[in-house]
Amino acid sequence: MVLENEIFKDFEDIVGKNNINDGKVITTAYAYNWCMEFFNYMEDKEPSPFSSIPKAVILPASTEEVAEIIKLCNKYGIKFKAQSTGLGPWNQPSTDNCIIVDLRRMNKLVKIDEKNLYAVIEPYVSGAQLQVEAMKYGLNCHMPGAGPHVSPLASATSMAGPGFTSPSTGHSARNVLGVEWVLPTGDIMRLGAIGLKKKPDWYNGDGPGPSLRGIMRGWVGAKSGIGVFTKVAVKLFPYPCSTDFTITGKSPNYGFKIPKYLRLYVMDCKTYEFLEEVMLKVDEEEISFMCSHLSGSGLAAIFSNSLQGLIGKAKLAQLKVPIVILITARTDREFDYKQKVMDNLIQELNIKDIIGKSYSPEPVFYAEALRSNLGLHGFITTGSFQSSKGGSDTAAVCLLSTKMNIPLKMEYIKSGAIGNDSGKGVWMTSYESGHYYHMESPTMFDQTDDHSVKGMAEYMEASNQLDLLKHLGAPFFVEGTQMHELFGPHMSNYHIWLRKIKQAFDPNNIADSGFYISPHSKE
Amino acid sequence: MTEDILFQKLVEIFSSKYVSRERNILNNYSKDLSFYPEKAPKYVAWPTDTKKIEEVLKLANELKFSVIPISSSSGPRHHGDTIPHKDNTIVLDLSNMNKILNIDRKNRVVMIEPGVTFGKLIPELQNKGLRLLLPLHPRDSKSVLTSALEREPITIPRYHWDSSDPLLCTEVFFGTGDLFRTGTAAGPGTIKEQQATGQAQVNPMGPTQFSPFRVIQGAQGSLGVVTWATLKLELIPTIQKVVHIQSDTIPELLNLQHELIKYRLCNELLILNNLNLACLVKKNAQEITELKNKIKRWNLLYIIAGRGKLAEDKISYLEGDIRDIIGDLGLKGLISENIINDNDILQVLSQATPDPWRLKLKGGYQDIFFLTSFEKITEFISIVEKEVPQDLGIYIQPINQGTSYHCEFDLYYDPSNDAEKTNIKEKFLKISTNLMDSGAFFNRPYGILTKEVYKRHDDSTQTALKKVKKIFDPNNVLNPGVLCFDE
Repeated sequence: MVLENEIFKDFEDIVGKNNINDGKVITTAYAYNWCMEFFNYMEDKEPSPFSSIPKAVILPASTEEVAEIIKLCNKYGIKFKAQSTGLGPWNQPSTDNCIIVDLRRMNKLVKIDEKNLYAVIEPYVSGAQLQVEAMKYGLNCHMPGAGPHVSPLASATSMAGPGFTSPSTGHSARNVLGVEWVLPTGDIMRLGAIGLKKKPDWYNGDGPGPSLRGIMRGWVGAKSGIGVFTKVAVKLFPYPCSTDFTITGKSPNYGFKIPKYLRLYVMDCKTYEFLEEVMLKVDEEEISFMCSHLSGSGLAAIFSNSLQGLIGKAKLAQLKVPIVILITARTDREFDYKQKVMDNLIQELNIKDIIGKSYSPEPVFYAEALRSNLGLHGFITTGSFQSSKGGSDTAAVCLLSTKMNIPLKMEYIKSGAIGNDSGKGVWMTSYESGHYYHMESPTMFDQTDDHSVKGMAEYMEASNQLDLLKHLGAPFFVEGTQMHELFGPHMSNYHIWLRKIKQAFDPNNIADSGFYISPHSKE
Repeated sequence: MTEDILFQKLVEIFSSKYVSRERNILNNYSKDLSFYPEKAPKYVAWPTDTKKIEEVLKLANELKFSVIPISSSSGPRHHGDTIPHKDNTIVLDLSNMNKILNIDRKNRVVMIEPGVTFGKLIPELQNKGLRLLLPLHPRDSKSVLTSALEREPITIPRYHWDSSDPLLCTEVFFGTGDLFRTGTAAGPGTIKEQQATGQAQVNPMGPTQFSPFRVIQGAQGSLGVVTWATLKLELIPTIQKVVHIQSDTIPELLNLQHELIKYRLCNELLILNNLNLACLVKKNAQEITELKNKIKRWNLLYIIAGRGKLAEDKISYLEGDIRDIIGDLGLKGLISENIINDNDILQVLSQATPDPWRLKLKGGYQDIFFLTSFEKITEFISIVEKEVPQDLGIYIQPINQGTSYHCEFDLYYDPSNDAEKTNIKEKFLKISTNLMDSGAFFNRPYGILTKEVYKRHDDSTQTALKKVKKIFDPNNVLNPGVLCFDE
């Protein structure tokens, strides 16, 4: 289904003829995305890696153009799906009566405010680009676990937001300051101080009065279901160590000159109970740049850049309940203090650090840790993975969830559907020096194999049910009408209120709600 | 329905002991220290449990009367946000719901009802080695929960991870009378079932794709009545070292505090002018004036702290690193002699007071507060000082990891002097609007300033907020007339 000529022309008048396309090749290419196959299967469709094919793809260059596009969508009753860097099925249309608004031309780093410790970015600025610019001021940005190639704007406004550096850089949703937001009606709204008529600025996004950031997103974002975010101010943090960053060699075997003031610790806590104790104690000391738990196989993966490399790390994979801590510092004094704290904890807890003793990572690990590139190692074994779970509250519930998931995951491992991580494959991180935690269970599967795809989908559904019935927190992917109606009645009937928001802010139901909520329960 | 029947229905819900229509009691709720016009509510009710809140909100929707929730009945209120706008209003005084429901050392979180005061909670937490993230020296009879709901600035910017901190999860009755739990408290499962799995309601975000706690916060009771909330806590340090740096000019202090927050080197961190610092640490007008004249005009206070076995080591590293920063900034000449006893400063920054510090000088004050950026602070100080050459207190608080600044100007006056009162009222309005026109962001607009604030803000924000009001309080029963909402 392509756009009628007259409608196509109206959209073309907004962006110019080189920035709109409804040709089959382009629209079909945009219908493909990672993990689409098992998301399709979970919705009782064929496990195809393609979503509905959009009617057209349009590339606006400014907020005003986005607003005009959305007004046209309202006029013609055509839905829109916005995407920034476009990773994953959440960027895909749920109906063929939809256009994709690809924001790649909106790629400006608007400003870095050194004195007020934030940056203002457009949708197609990547985490890596932002970090490199921030480093010039001795600053750093929070990056989501998805990696440095994705859009920090998308993470802050519309997606999830955990990252490997969350103990020291928090969560994307909590780092948001001013926001520029094109509502599903096409009206432009600016949150907080950037909404002032005189002398607007980006330093705060709340009020006056209630904060509309609460409508914008929750633990996860609305995935374009409540409009398009065209600029956002995000907090910046001190760069954790020296900003020297010298890479040598070729992919995947890069060399890296490890900067001053970085030290890694990896310790096997053996039991989840002891891991909780260790993690809480480390977090209370407020010393870690990173503090994560990964399974043994996950640990081996983050230190590997190829399948062969991973196979060679069988010993690491045998660690039962590892914890990974990276401390960083700006001065000798700070570094000495933090190492002393770690020495004391290691002694007090009678635990062994393997780094520099039985194992030393390749230097490039440190580059990837600083650049938040560790999540991508999940692709090494089977070529694809996705996380189940995603609940967040205390360390205790994260670890209970981890334990309770093992027998479930083992069923699907035994059936040959998903990769064998002994059921323990998990990534858990603390936030804000241990004020809360989240865990997710990265699960490897083969997206080219129907049995694997179907097994992955069935495992995800069973895992969601486990979280719901055993009160382990709401997983990441409670999104879309079906999931909201499943979880809502068990969670303060929140789906009723979320739906009212959709109705109020998108009266014509123009923002694609495939990964949000439909305005009516039977849509 | 006659008034008697309404009163009877309230008695049925609350019992006669907990509803009043006595004039002298109602008058307590009719005015405050602001310039907002007086108006008494029709009744006041004191719920003792959540069921009664649900019932009265459902009744309000049915019979179309207004409800203003308040949390602390004693001590002066300030900003006009709890004074009725409409005739048919009952005040829901939640001060009897004052239980500390749970103190969780392991997860550094406390769950409290709205009537819990700073005076009650701080010592309870201290007993367990914990502390609240406090606004500047709060009144001891003030509700802790209300302070968090109002987004009052806290004094430790490095623990202010989000502008919403320290508020975490809430239980709330929306204006419709429907019960809701925000953040991870929403579930799955009841609070008991969640606690059985080790949860402690520490993640405020959600449920799922929205975060209703953010719209309840800052709403001045116009969207929901919060019946409990969880608040994040920190561990009490073993050693705290107070540093008080004085200067005749503020830019050098602003530069230093910027470095301190950028590298997260200290805990409490704030700037006060000499008058406000004196008001905080002294008891009466004479002592305040004496100290004010003794110290320099601008005062940067910060505390470095260490905990546990290595507390001294931490202090040593922080002192060394800060010394280097001061050297790099060329600020070695700044005075840091201890004119004020360190314990007095620690007291002010860690405890509540029965004696509100802004009332000590002259018995009355009007506070003008807003958010701004680093660069604009000095400009705003000039605007206000031009209009108020004396009896002006100034408080600058970096917030939200140093990304913005709470600027507060306290205009002190004698409330028994009518001429002074009239003069202050005129100045209060004039200065506030001048500041707004110069780009000050009044993100917590109260009382007589509210209309001026919204007039200067993007219209789309008002439209969106009105949609939010319609969703959560469609019949406009909760505190009508505040913010941009209709009366």
